[in-house]
Amino acid sequence: MKLFKRILVLLTVVPLMFTTACKKESAPRIEQAPREEELVLRFGQAPYGDTLDMQISTGSLSASIADEVTESLLRFDDDNNEEVVLLTDFPTISEDGTAYSFELKPGVYFTNGTELHASDVKFTFERMFTPSTGAKSYSYFNMIVGAKEMLAGEAAELAGFEIIDDYHFIITLEYPYAPFIENLGTSYANILPEDACTAAGSSWGIDANLVGTGPYMIERNDPNTVCVLVKNPNYHGGEVKLDRIEVYFYADTTTKLLAYENDDIDVCDLSAAMLSQYMDAFANEITSYHPLGTCFLSLNLQNDVLANVNVRKAISAAINREEIVQYVLNGAGIPACTYLNPAIPGHDETYGVYEYSIDNAKALLAEAGYPDGVTISGGMVRQSEAPIAEAVQGYLAQAGVNLVFDVVDNATWNAERAGGALPFTFVTWNALYADADFQMYNYFYSTYSAGKSVNYNNAEFDALMDEARIVIDATKRTELYQAADRILSHDDMVCVPLYYPQSQFLAKPYVTDMKVGNLIYHLWNVGIDAQAKASY
Amino acid sequence: MKQYLIKRVLLAAGILFAISIITFFVLNIIPGDPVALMLGDNADPQAIETVRHNLGMDKPLVQQYLEWITGFMTGNMGESYFQHKPVSSMLVTSFGYTARLAAVSYAVALALGLSIGIIAALNRGNAIDHTLMTLAVAGISAPSFWVAIVLQIFIGLRFKAIPISGLGKPAAYLLPCLSLGMRYAASIARITRTSMLEVMNQDFIRTARAKGLSRRRTVMVHMFRNALIPIITVVGTDLTTLFAGSMLTESVFNIPGMGALLVDNITKRDIPVVQGGVMVVAMLCVLIYLAVDLLYAAVDPNIRLGGDR
Repeated sequence: MKLFKRILVLLTVVPLMFTTACKKESAPRIEQAPREEELVLRFGQAPYGDTLDMQISTGSLSASIADEVTESLLRFDDDNNEEVVLLTDFPTISEDGTAYSFELKPGVYFTNGTELHASDVKFTFERMFTPSTGAKSYSYFNMIVGAKEMLAGEAAELAGFEIIDDYHFIITLEYPYAPFIENLGTSYANILPEDACTAAGSSWGIDANLVGTGPYMIERNDPNTVCVLVKNPNYHGGEVKLDRIEVYFYADTTTKLLAYENDDIDVCDLSAAMLSQYMDAFANEITSYHPLGTCFLSLNLQNDVLANVNVRKAISAAINREEIVQYVLNGAGIPACTYLNPAIPGHDETYGVYEYSIDNAKALLAEAGYPDGVTISGGMVRQSEAPIAEAVQGYLAQAGVNLVFDVVDNATWNAERAGGALPFTFVTWNALYADADFQMYNYFYSTYSAGKSVNYNNAEFDALMDEARIVIDATKRTELYQAADRILSHDDMVCVPLYYPQSQFLAKPYVTDMKVGNLIYHLWNVGIDAQAKASY
Repeated sequence: MKQYLIKRVLLAAGILFAISIITFFVLNIIPGDPVALMLGDNADPQAIETVRHNLGMDKPLVQQYLEWITGFMTGNMGESYFQHKPVSSMLVTSFGYTARLAAVSYAVALALGLSIGIIAALNRGNAIDHTLMTLAVAGISAPSFWVAIVLQIFIGLRFKAIPISGLGKPAAYLLPCLSLGMRYAASIARITRTSMLEVMNQDFIRTARAKGLSRRRTVMVHMFRNALIPIITVVGTDLTTLFAGSMLTESVFNIPGMGALLVDNITKRDIPVVQGGVMVVAMLCVLIYLAVDLLYAAVDPNIRLGGDR
């Protein structure tokens, strides 16, 4: 009995000793309790990856943090309308539509104490076009005169950027480009301080190496655990509402949601897959919104089977989009009726949801020369799209189309797709703002479509896209994009649009003005109602 | 003994060399170009070439390997392609998390497993024995990630003072270490019980009791010490799987350890980080097995290593 007691003591004490002996380390758990008067937002999201440098990263997870620290000349508000940030007003445009004149707001300082000057803007764009930077998003700006020469390593300076004085500069384009002002409002064009960025070199954007003019500055950042942002006391846009924002990184979605339930965090996103589990108990804390994207089955037109338009149309006819949205997405989406998202000018509302008809699909297959069905193999999908891919696979089997694919990691998927020979895959393609050029050009224009394993080459479609890029008149542009979309997703059925996604987030009742601008969280307006929090 | 040790060290070096070659070449031939990932879909060929050159990826594979292995042996594991940080510093940070998780988990496992095994052996055949062994079977059968989620929901959410993720506070160790440790505790309990029962029937135990030694001294000194050999074998195997296999537990509890580091960097083909990580885990496994072999001799003087028994 004595021995039994000793063992029991051992059982209790030893683990306790080990546990308490462990020294405290920084980790994705809440830090020390904030002072009572501090207003702190605790935001949970998936790890953003490697960098907060938005010339190198294109991810919304990076942008949600980077946009609090660095700012672009213009930006999109919560309703996707563009507003000035670092400028006194929108730029004036020359009559031929190629020269943009800007005036910077005076007295805007980076958080390292240097004032924002036109030279910083010039540095930002020159860095973007310098090959060793490895900028991903330069193609949204490479119509600036001299950009192509820099990208080819033939020039060290951007010829199309003229500094008038510290606050005035002119950007000249090779040709009129209608969405240029919109592109300047994206995170990709966040303005960087020349001295700090040059000093940081390749470490810029890594950990806490990020300085900007934004409402918050990085106090510390471990990309695996937590990024702590503190208020910029000299913010040019006025008093910042919060003292701190703590962004906690959760690689596992379930753990993130449990942390929300456990009151460890105040805000986090909620995926469609988890929606059904939370929609009843947390109905008052869920906010839904529709990003400017489309989920579609991307097809390779050089594939022997998929080259036949009737096969592509048969695939479309065999898919019940309403059921996919209802059962696979728990209602978090809108069944597609065309490629362009409903919020993007050019979306044609006269189209109804693509008709679901197995009979029609079989007839189209027979017409294409496959009366007994056909196997399309070699596809690859990422884990994120696997549930949708499996649902589509099930529908197509009913029509006699045997869709064979592997679920692969991101690197393999990217390499195969960039090689141009991937037969099919599933993609959700989001525009950063409501413009069809952003959603269509970089995917389906002949120059780019090979790199997406689409290999679409239609002179009529290309001509419409080219014309729409230089037309300033909004109505005319809309008509051009409607025509282009009709060719793309109805006449040629180059891709099979499935649904327009819905996203949602959870926020505690004491969090105020929590908004998302098209997948990127706008934390600069968010506040905490201290009284409501105290009584929560 | 010395000869045996030299032989084992040489064998370990050979194994590590083979692992380094396999890892390097496998990582370099599987699909997925890190530069393409870095620069995105619309990458300019000039930019791709520049970045490949800067990273030394345009050199012949053999030359890349020789440069890497030479650096590794001098303590320079290179720099992450994506984060531009020394691989060694990334590994130290992640390994710190995994080592702490593994150490506390295994301490829990040892405390629970040895205690349960001894109690079960001493109560052979009665209700206590049956209950403890049923729990041990359940512990071995339940996947640790499932136990982790159950603990998070039924303990973490119920008693909100216990953190359900990270390792930021001492109390945060409780759930991950319980979920990871339980499985190992169960296997230790079973082997301890079996081993103790075997020793219990030996003549020297009866002699010890007949000579008037106390029950506690007989159990802890004579029985337990002689039952240790198979337990040490299990501990050695467990420790290697614990370091290399705590990935799911780390994932559920959001602990940025070696598992998370390796998976994340494999998916984006950050080759220097993966190579460094694999080598560190491999070295650890080899060292643990070596230590286990040496422990045999320390625990049981009858064992003479190197075949000179």
